[in-house]
Amino acid sequence: MGALGGALIGVVIAIGASAALFSGANWLFDLAVDRWRTFLAASCALVGALVGAVIAGNDVAGGPLWLWAVIGAAVGAAAGLAASLLGTPSKPRRTRLSERGRLVTFLGPSLLFVALGLVIPLLRSIYLSLLDSRAEAWVGLANYGEILTNPNSLDLSGWTEIFTSRLFYAALVLIAVGLGIGMAVGRRRGRAMEALPGSVGPIAIGLFVLSFAVFTTLRGTVINNLWWVVVVTGLSTALGLAAAVLADGVRGESVAKSLIFLPMAISFVGAGIIWRFMYIARPPQKPQTGFLNAIWVWLGSLRPRTTGAWVAVLILALATVLLAGLCAFGVRRRQTAFAIGAAVTAVPLLWLIYRFLGPGLGGSVPGPTGEPIAGTILFLQEAPFNNVWLMVVLIWIQTGFAMVILSAAIKAVPSELIEAARVDGATERQTFWNVIIPTIIPTITVVATTLIVLVMKVYDIVKVMTAGNFGTQVIANEMWQKAFTELNFGLGSALAVVLFLAVVPAMAFNIRRTQRADA
Amino acid sequence: MSTTTASKPGPVGGAIERVDRTGKLIYGFLRRIPTWVLWLMVIVWSIPASSLFLNSFRTRDAQRNSGWWESFNEGGWTLANYSEVLGTEQTGGLARALVNSFAIAIPATVIPVAIAAMAAYAFAWIKFRGREWLFIVFVSLLALPNQVALLPLLQLYAGGAHWTIPGTEFTLTLFPDFDLAGSATAVWLTHTAFALPFAVFLLHNYISSLPGELFEAARIDGADHVTIFWRLVVPLSVPALAAFTIFQFLWTWNDYLVAITMIGSNGEAWPATIRIASLAGEFGLREHVLSAGAFVQAGVPLIVFFALQRFFVRGLLAGSVKS
Repeated sequence: MGALGGALIGVVIAIGASAALFSGANWLFDLAVDRWRTFLAASCALVGALVGAVIAGNDVAGGPLWLWAVIGAAVGAAAGLAASLLGTPSKPRRTRLSERGRLVTFLGPSLLFVALGLVIPLLRSIYLSLLDSRAEAWVGLANYGEILTNPNSLDLSGWTEIFTSRLFYAALVLIAVGLGIGMAVGRRRGRAMEALPGSVGPIAIGLFVLSFAVFTTLRGTVINNLWWVVVVTGLSTALGLAAAVLADGVRGESVAKSLIFLPMAISFVGAGIIWRFMYIARPPQKPQTGFLNAIWVWLGSLRPRTTGAWVAVLILALATVLLAGLCAFGVRRRQTAFAIGAAVTAVPLLWLIYRFLGPGLGGSVPGPTGEPIAGTILFLQEAPFNNVWLMVVLIWIQTGFAMVILSAAIKAVPSELIEAARVDGATERQTFWNVIIPTIIPTITVVATTLIVLVMKVYDIVKVMTAGNFGTQVIANEMWQKAFTELNFGLGSALAVVLFLAVVPAMAFNIRRTQRADA
Repeated sequence: MSTTTASKPGPVGGAIERVDRTGKLIYGFLRRIPTWVLWLMVIVWSIPASSLFLNSFRTRDAQRNSGWWESFNEGGWTLANYSEVLGTEQTGGLARALVNSFAIAIPATVIPVAIAAMAAYAFAWIKFRGREWLFIVFVSLLALPNQVALLPLLQLYAGGAHWTIPGTEFTLTLFPDFDLAGSATAVWLTHTAFALPFAVFLLHNYISSLPGELFEAARIDGADHVTIFWRLVVPLSVPALAAFTIFQFLWTWNDYLVAITMIGSNGEAWPATIRIASLAGEFGLREHVLSAGAFVQAGVPLIVFFALQRFFVRGLLAGSVKS
């Protein structure tokens, strides 16, 4: 317990010293109004002591530090007294000086910390990024050139493969479906395009899939970071919005929200460890201890044409029939979006049925004797999708954040607005899409911006789970390795500055938002 | 909300009614889907943490040979993992790391709250030239990635700052070398600087919305800024101060990046996050205590979270949405 005792004593001393400094400064500026001579002598003594300490500290003159501080104080006090004999400023001027001093005591500590801890280090990082690895010779923009040309950080060579990937075609189909629905409904209503769930949904998912096609083909640290930003920001916001909407007014709302929000309290390191246990893969002949691989291998053990598989197929078929019924119901009710939603949901079920009847589903690979054996997924090793499994961890954490903020925004939508929409005959879904969503768009933007800034700097999760191996490197982890393991100060600083440049738009957004709020 | 079709009696109307009733049934089923999906999501979100929690009470053999879902049949419960991970350096050393975590998180919370509240008051209620642009600087620093400051700060802690006057041999010490690198002090000093933009922003949002007439009246009665701050602003801002305190405590307790940068390999001063990360880095050797370690580290934030969730949520809201 010695460490804690020492630390607590340190804290008490630090707080005591700060409080003494604060009240001392205030006392000093109180003097300025009523007792000018004392004020001048005391402040000059302080300046003198400081100058004396600096002189002694830099070995300009020999002798102990305290001695020079005392000499400086004495000289300063004498000079102050002498100056006060020359005359006293008028009372308004002294009052103004006192007010100025008060301002310094209020703002000074913050300004000092921000200047020493953020602004000057930022400028120094920019300066270091223009020097070589030992921070000795000027190299200009060579470090940035290294980041852009090194295939480990940015490898665009495989870009033609984007157009041959299955994801690319799936994305095109989804976007085409969305555009088609939007135009069809739009024509009926006399507009070129209609933004409704049935058209916006497929287009959004299509763009998302398209990003996967791009990010799985182009590789490198920078690409990984962009991938993280797109996936984590998109899914956390979407899932958080979904949870906020679904939980609104439900019995047990606070319990549900607490449980989804709970990962926010867990550290990134802890979350990384938690998910490492979820992702464990053991040799196929042993029982799986990782939850996800256990499910995967269990699915694989359901061989085609066995009882288990038939039961699964039966359940899936029932679900598909149900969805088909819902689709027909939607068509009958003239709810196009609804019908399409049901139909789209049925597609993966059909795919599962096909897998069960045909090649089999889940972790099953041909063994040495030809008999199928369990096949595990190496969640953390198999590139490029191991990146996605790492992103899952951050999504798990940040969905709660998005949910809490968006839930508050939804609850803050004026109830008259919703009532008015209801009176006009809007259904609950129309109210949601045409009243609630537009009202909370600013909040969605804020959540997305916050998440982008946070995801851009993702570090702990990658460090704990893969240490950047297996093609999962991100800029922040690369920066840390370069600067603090390899002691390449130039490249490390350049990577940090890249992170800084990436969030400059978010800074501009924050500034604009504050200015608008002040206006 | 479903429109009821007026149906005529007769064979045709009866059929329509039947179809309609089926429709309503399906519709009712559909209306319940959202609730089911929500609870499904809750279950999915709870599985990772609760499964590790179960595992932390299982023996080494049980953890290695079967998944947590088997533990209900198999048993194999033990508390040994916890005593082991809290014990000596060789088996875990987490007890000491927890103390270090407190030694970092307490000053890194108390000091920013105090000085940010003063700055927020100055920005909100003291008029001075350059107030707007200075506040803009703080707001723009909100999004600054901490990474840009790590290397220069570590250099500052490790060797101070010196400047050789050009053309002379004379080197001026701008910042003396206090030998801070590797100590908890370096970590909480850094946290203090990094926390200030957010703290000032959050507290300013709150303090600037306090009724100005109150301060005017106090000033007419002869109160100066110190009195107003101490007697009026601090008591009135308790909700915002509490919100930021909790937020900052959780943030610094859970921090890994700043601590590993400033402390480095000095295991004596490692907080709990670095300790469990290093346990995780050993791959398999002491994996059976890792789950217990993760929960010991998460215990403090989880207690804070459950006890003070309201304040934490308020802090998040105040920080991201200006009311």
